[in-house]
Amino acid sequence: MTVNGTERAVPAGEGGDPAAGTPAGTAADTAAGARETGAPGTAADASGVAGAGADGTAGTDLDPALAAARAAAETASPDPETVPWSGPARWVVPALAAAVGAVMLWGALTIEAPPNATRPGPGFFPGVIGGLLLVLAACLVVTNLRGRSTGAANALEWFEARPVLIVLAGLVAHIALLEFLGWLLAGALLFWVVAYAFGARAYLRDAVVALSVAAAVQVGFSLGLGLSLPSGILGWVL
Amino acid sequence: METLVNLGDGLLAALSPGNLMWAFLGVVLGTAVGVLPGLGSAMAVALLLPVTFRLDPTSAFILFAGVYYGGMFGGATTSILLNTPGQASSIATTYEGHKMALAGRAAQALGTAVIGSFFASLIGTLVVAFFSPVMVSFALNFGPGEYFALTVFSFVAVAAVVSGSVLRGLTSLLIGLAIGVVGIDGQSGAPRFDFGSAVMLDGIDVVIVTVGLLALGEVLYVVARGKSAPDFAAIRTGRPWLNRRDWKRSVGPWVRGTALGSAFGPIPGSGAEIPTFVSLGLERKLAEQRAKRKGDPQENEFGKGAIEGVAGPEAANNSSAAGTLVPLLGLGLPTSATAAIMLAAFQQYGLQPGPVLFERNADLVWTLLASLLIGSVLLLVINLPFAPLWAKLLKLPKPYLYGGITLFSVLAVYAINTSVVHLVMLLAVALLGLVMRAFGVPVAPALIGVVLGPIAETEFRRALAASSGDPSILVGSGISITLYVLVALAALIPVVAGLRRRAADRSAKASVSERDGVSEKDGVS
Repeated sequence: MTVNGTERAVPAGEGGDPAAGTPAGTAADTAAGARETGAPGTAADASGVAGAGADGTAGTDLDPALAAARAAAETASPDPETVPWSGPARWVVPALAAAVGAVMLWGALTIEAPPNATRPGPGFFPGVIGGLLLVLAACLVVTNLRGRSTGAANALEWFEARPVLIVLAGLVAHIALLEFLGWLLAGALLFWVVAYAFGARAYLRDAVVALSVAAAVQVGFSLGLGLSLPSGILGWVL
Repeated sequence: METLVNLGDGLLAALSPGNLMWAFLGVVLGTAVGVLPGLGSAMAVALLLPVTFRLDPTSAFILFAGVYYGGMFGGATTSILLNTPGQASSIATTYEGHKMALAGRAAQALGTAVIGSFFASLIGTLVVAFFSPVMVSFALNFGPGEYFALTVFSFVAVAAVVSGSVLRGLTSLLIGLAIGVVGIDGQSGAPRFDFGSAVMLDGIDVVIVTVGLLALGEVLYVVARGKSAPDFAAIRTGRPWLNRRDWKRSVGPWVRGTALGSAFGPIPGSGAEIPTFVSLGLERKLAEQRAKRKGDPQENEFGKGAIEGVAGPEAANNSSAAGTLVPLLGLGLPTSATAAIMLAAFQQYGLQPGPVLFERNADLVWTLLASLLIGSVLLLVINLPFAPLWAKLLKLPKPYLYGGITLFSVLAVYAINTSVVHLVMLLAVALLGLVMRAFGVPVAPALIGVVLGPIAETEFRRALAASSGDPSILVGSGISITLYVLVALAALIPVVAGLRRRAADRSAKASVSERDGVSEKDGVS
């Protein structure tokens, strides 16, 4: 059983991505980093379970129940869920939790219960959720402050903002123009923009595909399910 | 016996040409979605949810059943051919399955996966048929207090046990619960968090949340990863015929995998992946013992592409998929993301799963169970000859694939009420999904929170109203006390697992030197 990082990295880098979507390199790094062992067998255990592994025999020495429990615990926890956050981005989730919590608490205090409402009233649950979210946000902050900065931390270096903004722009345009342009044109535009963001550059062919898909959807839905999609300006013109 | 008669009646009802067509469509769609990496059966069901508004409930559930089973199998195809599991429950299949493919036995691996899935779905459905009524007679003793305890149990199980980090799991759950309280309060009629918008008074539709978090959130996440996102490589396959030796070696794992999956499926929060790994570990251990007993190391093919390592986990994930329907139908308790969406689907039709459903809509329940049987037969018929064809789906250009998913996401949400405001909500939820994915916050607890949150709140307030504010009603019965004890135990599992993992690491470290020694010997021979 010769397990090492390089052997695994070949399939992992190309197509060996687990459902949860961990960059496989990160997974292996984390396993090695978090355990500070550097022992090849250990690293393979964790990243192998994360779906990128090429070697299934890791962990054979353990009794099956334990191996299964470990495997289960580690699969159920694909690596991105345990990778610590680093950089300025590490405050995003705590801030989000605190913001939602604050809104919930504000709601709990301001929701007006009808006079005859039974207690606990409509503000009770939001209040509990808000309080728990604020506590959680505090816990996340503490975890962030205590967390050691390891090389494998999730610092969002892989994040490419430009294509994301293109897709978002496409969605905003689609929402804004849907009722004016109609489903056929607005839908085709959305498809085309998303394809562009994913790197499609055969503009004319993309446009033809986009129009055909949007048209197929419109026909399928109106005929098959009796759902009416907005026809927009095409409806007035034709 | 009565169960069998009911199931037979259901089968007669389900076997109309129209329903067969929906089952067929479901299996095809489910398999197609399951084959694509990153898209699970939960996403397929979420996208189909609004489409089924126009169908009658029976046809809709037949469609869902097909999608559910098809998705489970579709994931196996990519695990075997590409070493890329389509969803978490197929991860265990990759180890031996992809080795078999590399050894030129991809066709056999696919064959044992299809037949194993068929066998497991069949047995799993029978288990559901026999155990749901038992669950129902148990659930008849439940009052609001017990139901509230049940939802708390489900929350803790999903947030703490399934998630990698308890803190992140709970964050996801609470955000889901927060989304769930938006809209008019069902108990008092007071508007909550409507921010002056009339559309918000209806709350944030479950379809928006599921499509936003699962489908559109995934599109944004994949595009954000750019070049680091997976690419789909070329594939070789053949026809999946098994020889006699393959059959002999597959039957045992199928049976054991089915038993494991049926046992784990109904447990809230256990998910489909735990039994697959238990099955893989068990088959590996059995193969080792067999090799030792016969003194022939050839008997143990683990590590080189053992067919047992595909047959077991694939049977386990299909039977656990069926198993999750036991608490869903019997108690109205979803134990997976897909089940949560199916619960939402029941609610769209004004049906509340649980004891009442069995009393009032018994024919629907039995038709649904029978449609699961039909779904598993179709799974076999469609996928045994065409498995290699499915793999071709991966050759679809990525821009068009994701363009299509985006289009369908928008359509699914627009179809709810032809409201553009819903699309704005979808955009917001999709951004939330992107943030959660980017920071490794699990999405499933949020879905469970959105679906179960309102139920939890209603039951809680109903219980307190019944006792005129005396909170002791919440722990007033043996059932709720037992459930709270289980909650405490479930919360302890991650802690204990952490300790055991640390202990296991130490023993693994100790044995690494020994194992490396063995592997060198293997290399020489």
